[in-house]
Amino acid sequence: MSLTTMPVRDGGARRVTRALRFDPMAWLGILLLLLVWELAACLLPPAILPAPLGVVRRLCSEFLSAPDLSYFGLANASLLGSMTYTAENVLLAMIVGAAFAIPLGLVTARQELIRAVIDPVMMTVGTVPILILAPFLLIWFGVGRASAVLLVTFYVIVVVYVAAQRAAENIAPVFEDYAATLGASPRAVLRDILIPATIPEILGGLRIALAGAWGLEAVSELLGAQQGIGKIIEVLAGATDAQGIMAALLLLGLVATVCDGCAAWAIHRLTRWKSSTPVAGA
Amino acid sequence: MKPLSPSRRRAIGLIVLLCLAAIWQLLSMIYPAEAQPGEPMIAGWQVIFTKTLLSLSDYWQGGLGVRSVAEGASRGYAAACLTLIVNSAITLARVLGGLAIGTLLGMIGGLAVSWSSWGRRIVNLPMQFLRTLPLLAMVPLFQLWFGTNLFGQIAFTAYGVSVIVFAGTVNAVANIPAIFIDNARSLGASQSQIYRSVILPGILPGMRSTILLALGTAWSAVLGAEYLGAQSGLGYIIVYAQQFAYLDRMFLVALVILVFAAVFYTLFDRATRKLLAWAPQTSRREIAR
Amino acid sequence: MANAVQDIQIRHLSRRFTRADGQTVTALDDLSVTIKAGEFVCLVGPSGCGKTTLLQMLAGLLRQSSGEIEAQGKPVLRPGPERGVVFQKDSVFPWMRVIDNVEYGLKCRGVSKGERRERALHYLERVGLMQVAQAWPKELSGGMLKRVAIATVFANGAEILMLDEPFGALDYVTRHQLHDVLLDLWLDGEGGRRRTVIFVTHDVDEALILADRILVFHSGRMVEDLAVTLPKPRSADDLVLPELVNHRHRLLQHMGLIRPAAAKPGQ
Repeated sequence: MSLTTMPVRDGGARRVTRALRFDPMAWLGILLLLLVWELAACLLPPAILPAPLGVVRRLCSEFLSAPDLSYFGLANASLLGSMTYTAENVLLAMIVGAAFAIPLGLVTARQELIRAVIDPVMMTVGTVPILILAPFLLIWFGVGRASAVLLVTFYVIVVVYVAAQRAAENIAPVFEDYAATLGASPRAVLRDILIPATIPEILGGLRIALAGAWGLEAVSELLGAQQGIGKIIEVLAGATDAQGIMAALLLLGLVATVCDGCAAWAIHRLTRWKSSTPVAGA
Repeated sequence: MKPLSPSRRRAIGLIVLLCLAAIWQLLSMIYPAEAQPGEPMIAGWQVIFTKTLLSLSDYWQGGLGVRSVAEGASRGYAAACLTLIVNSAITLARVLGGLAIGTLLGMIGGLAVSWSSWGRRIVNLPMQFLRTLPLLAMVPLFQLWFGTNLFGQIAFTAYGVSVIVFAGTVNAVANIPAIFIDNARSLGASQSQIYRSVILPGILPGMRSTILLALGTAWSAVLGAEYLGAQSGLGYIIVYAQQFAYLDRMFLVALVILVFAAVFYTLFDRATRKLLAWAPQTSRREIAR
Repeated sequence: MANAVQDIQIRHLSRRFTRADGQTVTALDDLSVTIKAGEFVCLVGPSGCGKTTLLQMLAGLLRQSSGEIEAQGKPVLRPGPERGVVFQKDSVFPWMRVIDNVEYGLKCRGVSKGERRERALHYLERVGLMQVAQAWPKELSGGMLKRVAIATVFANGAEILMLDEPFGALDYVTRHQLHDVLLDLWLDGEGGRRRTVIFVTHDVDEALILADRILVFHSGRMVEDLAVTLPKPRSADDLVLPELVNHRHRLLQHMGLIRPAAAKPGQ
């Protein structure tokens, strides 16, 4: 019964590290995408599909200051400033939404009666696109930050509520029994079992919510706002400026991708104990 | 703690929803402010199903033997109902058309790319980027490309759906247990036989959640397109009414959308569950190990 | 050393369940038995005989329908650190490193950092897992996870240990290695005092190798109380000794595994 003859399984850990590393093939994929774009841009008029290089150049030139936008009533506008406004709103909505949804999801997983009351509301809201609320919020709260943040907050609440509830349901009962037989108090069970065991799925829910939040925030700004990347897109759409729209979209997409990558990395770091952490893709 | 029986739970759910409806009614009585003369901010149910419904006939543009208000006719239930039916049909055509085309394209593309591991590795990063690129922010771009007609909205919806289905298919193929493929290979199956007999049925359980997700995306995409520039459809009526702050009309049309979305979701959920009755339930308990 | 207060007293213990169709099932029927302190008792029987139900009630995880259980002079009402359990399923917390798992019970009881680390390392060494103290449970094999669970309950200092078919899912060799680990720890009790062990199994050979006393259950009733006198530690090799052969025949009879009419070949 010597240990040295027993192999320690570490396949899981190795697999995750490999997924985190970049595959040279992936770069080939990006190159291919750019090539297809470039080719299509050659065939189509630039007013419809601008070439990738022009879009990137536009993104760089208007990153810190975009004087052209002042014609449309956007004084002191820049892509960076607009993106910051949008990102602030998303972040705020994520924090507020998570603060509501996580405790609610965890409690309803254990309290049948509260769950029977809240679930129907959440499920009804969950089947309809949250976007439906946008015009109502614009009337009630005007075209400021509040209506955009509220819209995204509702979305975050629905997504994270379900994730937190499922996470608490999925804890194998044996862990709580085991902790009790070792002498853990109910508070210790909450701190040492319930919270660590649910963190991976809750973080996964937050990541999904974050991915959807960008689009909702942007569309809310498109419908009515004074600032933000969505407002820029709306203004440029009025001028049928495809290059400008694509530059703004590229920035939004890059920020969303980088945030998603950071979230994936953070989840990976926090859940090293799990057998497999999906890093790329769901 | 005693678990509630499913019928008990359903009864509580119904009571909760009825309570919400009653609270709305109560609010309409204690807060009678009007957005416009004769247009209440919060309309009671008795108003919504009579006066508000009638006012929808304003959006009827004539035809089918029913004259529009613009042509001098007075408001009528016939025109109001036709407004709802025609605009619902347009919206549903956009949702279903986009869903069908997008699912088909996404699945074909996903399966084609999954033929070799090379393909999967090449598309991985571009796929991640396209999926992360916020769909709803792309409405103006698609309008620029395809115009604000039915084709443009279906193209937009189909794009949003196909990105999700594409990624879902690639993931589902990658997640098929290797042992099934090894087993088929050891029995002498060729690559194309493996595709037909192992991979195609093998991805179906994984595709279920993908299609349900795509359904939600299709609704979001259509609503986004209708809020921003379309000239017909239920979403268009909502934003058109919003410009005059007709909250009661917006509320009524939103209710119609809510019913459609819920019915669709339930139908899809039931149908796919029945089709996949053979699939073993993935044990979520495994996660704990 | 036998001290009546330290014994486990079970009096007229019953447990009934209501099935989904409304029928009442008696999982354990009017059991009265005394388990002496320091005894190694195996509960044996076919699945559904009530042995796991009894263990869960002894652990305090399940309330009895009627009757009494007294451990160390106090009625059993809830789970507690004086009665440790090794579960059938893997219960080692995957989100804590191995060493933190072994320390967990001591931490809950407020034992100081240095003392609990020392105790945990001692028991990890006894079960042969010193090298993986800092590993995550996912990196361990099924047998190693069971060693962690055993080290945890021993480190926690429970006077009574309950094991519910702990080695059922393991291969033959690993299972016998773990019998050795368990017997070594039990024989060499802290302060020369052996702990009471209640071990549920459906493996007759496992019971014969481990037990001082085998309680056989069938349909919720105790049908046999066998004493095994052969000195310990025993191994699979001892199963051919006359005492164990006789006991084995008796146990197999209780489980309905001996055909009444069939003569043994060569007889």
